[in-house]
Amino acid sequence: MATDAIRAALIKRLRTSSGISDEDAGEIEALPIAVRHFPAEKPVVRDGERATDCCLIAEGFCARSKTIPNGKRQILSIHIPGEIPDLMSLFLHVMDHDLSTLTPATLGFISHDTLRSLHRRNPNVAEMFWRDTLVDAAMFREWIVNVGQRPAPARLAHVMVELRERLKLIGQIDGTSFDMPLTQEQIGEALGITAVHANRVIKQLRLEGIVELQRGRVTVLDDRKLLELADFDGRYLHQSPVL
Amino acid sequence: MPRFHFDVHENGRVIPDEDGQELANQNDARKEAVMSGASIARDAFVSGSARQVVVDVREDGAPFLKVSITLEVDET
Repeated sequence: MATDAIRAALIKRLRTSSGISDEDAGEIEALPIAVRHFPAEKPVVRDGERATDCCLIAEGFCARSKTIPNGKRQILSIHIPGEIPDLMSLFLHVMDHDLSTLTPATLGFISHDTLRSLHRRNPNVAEMFWRDTLVDAAMFREWIVNVGQRPAPARLAHVMVELRERLKLIGQIDGTSFDMPLTQEQIGEALGITAVHANRVIKQLRLEGIVELQRGRVTVLDDRKLLELADFDGRYLHQSPVL
Repeated sequence: MPRFHFDVHENGRVIPDEDGQELANQNDARKEAVMSGASIARDAFVSGSARQVVVDVREDGAPFLKVSITLEVDET
């Protein structure tokens, strides 16, 4: 993968969500980046580790999660190309959760030193990345609401619609279908339910003609019903500079 | 590790578990069945879609245990 392709999804996303200028995009395009390929379900940076660089997803899906002593894992967020899921490690030096791949992934590593000097040189880029971590926090708020208050079918619907809206921004949806490469167990971990309950919810949504999830791919059967079930209001994604 | 399948019955309607999952032992399978039953019952009871949830567990294809949760509301 060419190094400008590594940054393509990031620039594409920043153009829409933050209205990045060509000049600032050029600065990001000039960042030195170390490309590494990861297999599926491999840790990128672990809870307790000291990170020295931030990782930009070029291809594939990642997830952030936290595991409690009894072995139960909560998936905190799903990440797609163009996102830098450990951007906060620039300021929060020791990881307080895990970042790992869900699928085989191409990741670009940008050193903290490089990012720090870019931030000092270019406040526009610094603000944009700051905004990115704030949107991250907004998404966590929505996930807390999701897991804490919605019934399981609505939780799944909400996670699906959110993922679709984010994939849309980088041009990775295909009509009514898009990738959501999570196993039943991982869906359970994202929704705070068991794999058995996740299976039941997936089947229910298919039986009701709302959405189909098969081998990591979502096909929306009835968009109106899906949005209604998800109780989705996309403002929290702040996908425009005016939001 | 043994493979356990958890079929879910709600008001007699069955949602089969085709894939199943590998778990260390029967104790883990028992816990998974109780947690799943309770979590499904919470949704089903609150939405009113069912008053009974049964999780029927098979171990390597053979019947292992059934967890049954029933909603009873006594109004005076």
